[in-house]
Amino acid sequence: MSVARRAFIQMSVGASVGILFTPTVWTALDDVSIWTQNWPWIPTLKYGEVKGLPTVSKMCESGCAVKVRTVAGQAFGTEGNADNPLSGGGICPLCANGVQVMYSPTRIKAPRLNGAEISWDEARTIVAEKLAAAGSKVAVISGDQSGTINEVFSALLTNQGSDDFYAMPCEMQTADKAWAGLMGGSGQVGYDLEKADVVLLAGADALESWGPTVANMQAFAANDSGKFIFAGPMQTRTAAVTSKWVPVPSEGMAAFTLGICYYVMQAGRSVDAADFEQFKSMVVSNYTPAKVEATTGVPADTMADLARTLLTARNPVVVPAGSVAADAAAFALNLLLGGAMTVLPEFDKAIDTAMSRSEMLKKDILQGVSADLLLVYEANPVYALPEQVKAGFTVAFDSVETETTAAADLVLPTPHSYERFDDMVSPYGMPVATYTIGASVSKPALDVMNAGDFVLGLVDLGFETFEEVLDAKVSAIGANKRRLMSGTAHVAGGSADVGGVTLASSVLGKAAVPVKGTGAVALAPYTLLNVGTANQATTPNAPCTISNNQLIGDHMVVMMASATAKKLGVDVGTKVKLSGGNGECVALVQIFEGVLPGVVAAPLGMGHTVGDEFSKGKGDNVYKILTVSSEAATGTSTWAGSTVNIAKI
Amino acid sequence: MEIKEFKIKWGMVIDIDKCTGCGACMVGCQVENNIAPMTKKDPYNYVQALTTHRDDASNKLRTLTWMTVYELSNKKVFPDHEVAYLPRPCMQCGHPACVPVCPVVATDKNEEGGIVSQIYPRCIGCRYCMAACPYHARYFNWWDPLWPEGMDKGLSPNASVRPRGVVEKCSFCHSRYLDAKNKARAEGSDPMDLADGAYNTACAEICPTKAITFGDLNNPEHKVYELAKSKKSFRLLEKLGLDPQVYYMTEREWVRMQGDNYNGGDGAASNNHG
Amino acid sequence: MDSKLFPEGVQRCSLGQFALWMVPILGVLVWGLYGAVLVLYNGIGTTGLDNYFGFGAWITFDLAVIALGAGAFFTGFLKYILKIKQLEKIINLTVIVGFICYSGAMLVLTLDIGQPGRAWFGYWHPNVHSMLTEVIFCITCYCTVLIIEFVPLILEQKQLNKIPFIHALAHNMHVNMALFAGLGAFLSTFHQGSLGGMYGVLIGRPYAFREGFFIWPWTFFLFVLSAVGTGPVFTVLVATFMEKLTGKKLVDFKTKALMGKIAGSMLCVYMFFKILDTWAWAVGYLPTVGLTFDEMFYGIAYGKWMLWTELVVCGVVPAIMLVTPSIRNRPAMLYTAAILGCIGVCINRYVFTVQSLAHPVMPFDSWHVYYANWVEYATSLMIVAYGFLVLSLSYRYLPVFPLETKLNYQNK
Repeated sequence: MSVARRAFIQMSVGASVGILFTPTVWTALDDVSIWTQNWPWIPTLKYGEVKGLPTVSKMCESGCAVKVRTVAGQAFGTEGNADNPLSGGGICPLCANGVQVMYSPTRIKAPRLNGAEISWDEARTIVAEKLAAAGSKVAVISGDQSGTINEVFSALLTNQGSDDFYAMPCEMQTADKAWAGLMGGSGQVGYDLEKADVVLLAGADALESWGPTVANMQAFAANDSGKFIFAGPMQTRTAAVTSKWVPVPSEGMAAFTLGICYYVMQAGRSVDAADFEQFKSMVVSNYTPAKVEATTGVPADTMADLARTLLTARNPVVVPAGSVAADAAAFALNLLLGGAMTVLPEFDKAIDTAMSRSEMLKKDILQGVSADLLLVYEANPVYALPEQVKAGFTVAFDSVETETTAAADLVLPTPHSYERFDDMVSPYGMPVATYTIGASVSKPALDVMNAGDFVLGLVDLGFETFEEVLDAKVSAIGANKRRLMSGTAHVAGGSADVGGVTLASSVLGKAAVPVKGTGAVALAPYTLLNVGTANQATTPNAPCTISNNQLIGDHMVVMMASATAKKLGVDVGTKVKLSGGNGECVALVQIFEGVLPGVVAAPLGMGHTVGDEFSKGKGDNVYKILTVSSEAATGTSTWAGSTVNIAKI
Repeated sequence: MEIKEFKIKWGMVIDIDKCTGCGACMVGCQVENNIAPMTKKDPYNYVQALTTHRDDASNKLRTLTWMTVYELSNKKVFPDHEVAYLPRPCMQCGHPACVPVCPVVATDKNEEGGIVSQIYPRCIGCRYCMAACPYHARYFNWWDPLWPEGMDKGLSPNASVRPRGVVEKCSFCHSRYLDAKNKARAEGSDPMDLADGAYNTACAEICPTKAITFGDLNNPEHKVYELAKSKKSFRLLEKLGLDPQVYYMTEREWVRMQGDNYNGGDGAASNNHG
Repeated sequence: MDSKLFPEGVQRCSLGQFALWMVPILGVLVWGLYGAVLVLYNGIGTTGLDNYFGFGAWITFDLAVIALGAGAFFTGFLKYILKIKQLEKIINLTVIVGFICYSGAMLVLTLDIGQPGRAWFGYWHPNVHSMLTEVIFCITCYCTVLIIEFVPLILEQKQLNKIPFIHALAHNMHVNMALFAGLGAFLSTFHQGSLGGMYGVLIGRPYAFREGFFIWPWTFFLFVLSAVGTGPVFTVLVATFMEKLTGKKLVDFKTKALMGKIAGSMLCVYMFFKILDTWAWAVGYLPTVGLTFDEMFYGIAYGKWMLWTELVVCGVVPAIMLVTPSIRNRPAMLYTAAILGCIGVCINRYVFTVQSLAHPVMPFDSWHVYYANWVEYATSLMIVAYGFLVLSLSYRYLPVFPLETKLNYQNK
């Protein structure tokens, strides 16, 4: 058989073209392209009307005023609330992920007694029995710094004849101990970062984690002409945008502040306080810049420069953080300067038998908690204070699983911030008294109950529901609920009385002496909101934002200057063991020249042993290696001055 | 290739002197654009369960971060060290390196506004555009997107979920642009002349220090118009000629110097506008 | 047992021995298939690629085998178009090697793209400005051409060829082969160039970017030249390797030396332009984007040693060796030069693929080092094993080497 050349080509081409005229090829290709867009495991979206509903988010320490975005009634995102001074349109990275946490599988689904699910009625019976048995040996630990929920819990304590109300360690407590405790002031200290022309952040990482962070950041953004200076042991995120970073060891912050006071008083400034002369002679004899330089390493010239800057400013403010002594020294300096430090009056209580804020902050949790019955409200002491808390029976109220809920006898699920009524009363640091209310903007899908409702169902405090308590609070404040529900804040002007405030010179003179632990290097723990706080672990989308300066793989990263690393014989990537307090941490070394030599900077908030995959087993828990020391003279405990030993492993 | 000009040119001016690197913009972006949180385990894929895990978010070379924050250092030792944070969205280049290389026209710069698009159902996942982009603004879906159980309830209506194997990138929250235009039409105003702020991206909106300003670079009524012309402004890698629509601002000379390469003997240009 | 299937007048090892030889090959193939299944089922996250290295081992492998497979089109071009008769002694092998390289590269590309189901979009939604579109067109078309060129060889298998229709078909295809060779040469030249053009057009990647002529950056021409400068000697190496393996003479040395001479001449032209290009890039282009030559290199992984190895040891040296008759005509020297040349082109494809991406263009970014993982190695080795498989079967059953009988049996 022979095939002619032409016939062969015709046949080949014909066959090729012919098949293209059949639908086989085209249908197949079309099907493939449709397939590749419709994999069944790729979720589809829900469409509908998009709304932004105002409420509050309690994930970060101070809380954020937010708007929850919903589509066809389903919450999907969080945005800022431009109408509220706590937000001004912005939010922090934790609260930005609020909705995702609300839907997270780590939510607690139902009440649980020793691991077994029980009904709310059973839970109420158990707690009622325990309350009756415990009598006055009841304690409360609250992780909420600004909510009226604390009034409910403290009224419960009053009812039981107990005053064991504990706040988790926070800057608000340190400030209150300095202001009310040492200096005899009343009200709450605030700082007007927006109107100040010079802001000295003496340890306060105000643009990352300290105080009402978002409001601080808004104030910073609005304050174009203001000069911000950050002092502290490391170049924090705040220091990245301030015009200057003054390296000061954390234990030396009080002495450093007094060193500035020295120059300010030399310039003739004084305070109308009973012990001013005593204060002046204390500073002149013990905190001369030369002496401060000798104990803290901060050059006298630096303090002189800062003093000059503050003195020439029209409206300066010093914002302290760290220890009671540092806070008291800064308050004294602010009084000398007469600038943008404010003193907020406290709003009236909703529940008569509740404690005032200052009373709630009195108890020192670092000195230990011991009770027959312990109620923990949205706090994680088992994680942050593993050694301090002991109780016969622990009830943990929380919306997500934490170390504390895992260790508690009874776990009572609370609704997520977006699913409940809640409020924020003057978060610490705000320059004016503010009140913000948050409504439920998403229907709870789990078997949860507002902790306030639960407690009000146990004891008669004069209210049936927590919403009624909030109504009472609103009227006590004299605010308009309807306007509050639209997301705006009630702002109260006026200032608390500062007459009769002393400078606590005798205590401060002793307390400001820098005291350091015995470890080889000083530990500078720092908080980044995206990494998490003492009570709130990082959120599902936030790990992408955590840099390799905090976490590499599952290992925590600690930072130090090259000089420190050289001295310790470590380098980038060296795996080290940090031991301090009664614990140890494992970390990888990173060189960051923005850390004071002789100091190692470690991120707080990692190393969870309970929780979702985004936080559990990630990094190590720096709270384990903090040393609790009793601050001389002030009678308070502090983590400042913690040191660690570092060994290669 | 010529630079494509549009009547409207959406752009950003990011003030580095205000950015603290907090990460809120990144989280806001991921929520807005349905970027799945990174999970190691895929309980629905048994082959995966039997072999290696997926990546979690600490592998920064596998994250999907349309908006990401770089840490800049002046590289000096203590105490002269300085640090800055630089948020990097897609630059929406006027002369994009990525668009002409795409073999299947899955990315384009053709719409009024000058946003570089990405058509996920067309992308074949060759990653040539990623190789082309010097800003690393393009990301590949290395794994299937996976939301932990129940979390897919909170999906945003603003960006369809991408399957694995396609490239994705910042779109300046494009659906918000469409929404803004629709709203303008409904209100009887000109959708081609939106007021400043009528269209804003998620990252700009959420930023607590308002470091990101978004608007039409060609519209004198928009804040970015002046800001982009400021003496403090610069763009990343201007010498490559990609003509980015994202500007940065800083007072700090050393930060400006890190915005481009200045070692090639062409003189250290301290002022790019000089 | 299967001796009836052997080509006319040759001896082959026993089927048992052949099966034994197949075991490791199939082993590697299965290992690679396992890797491929993981990639297709779990996703490309299984590999060592990442956001910085969207291209890695696979693309390097593809580019390298395509360059080395260039022996097929270039030899075809010389034989069918320029009518260099002597090359018919090796032309079948070049076709098979080309076929293996191109089909293998396409298999790897199917793994490499994230959505293999959309691979054909290159035809349906083509972007005519993209060098990659050109690559997709040319590679798929040329692979078809190679299949067409390979088919008659299969049809000439002794038993198959007894069927009259097949015989006629094979004959007809042979008659028309010049057409396909011409088409192949055109397609192949273009995509070898486009592969280089792919890198040269990357305006955002100063390591790779090159100016050029009209729409083609210089890398376009350099990739063509480097491919034709090494492809022919790679075929020689394959033939020699098969000779060592089988203990038979398969191609006469004269042909090999001719291939060496052709490759050597092309390599000389290539090296001239390559050095010129590198120099112009270093002193002309880089400064305009604020970079220096030194900044293009980093550590050991991306060090200058690689450039010098590519340009001198694996570039100039083999080029000189191959064009110098006294060196070229000594088998050991010819093979050494061939190996060096092939390594050189592989380094070239590697640095253009990986180092281009490793160089941090943004000054505040840092170098990252790319490590391919076992999945990429396994799937690439799968293609190598596939090559061994095809070559082994072809050698055993197809009349690949026209001179085999003459060189081995008739002289005795």
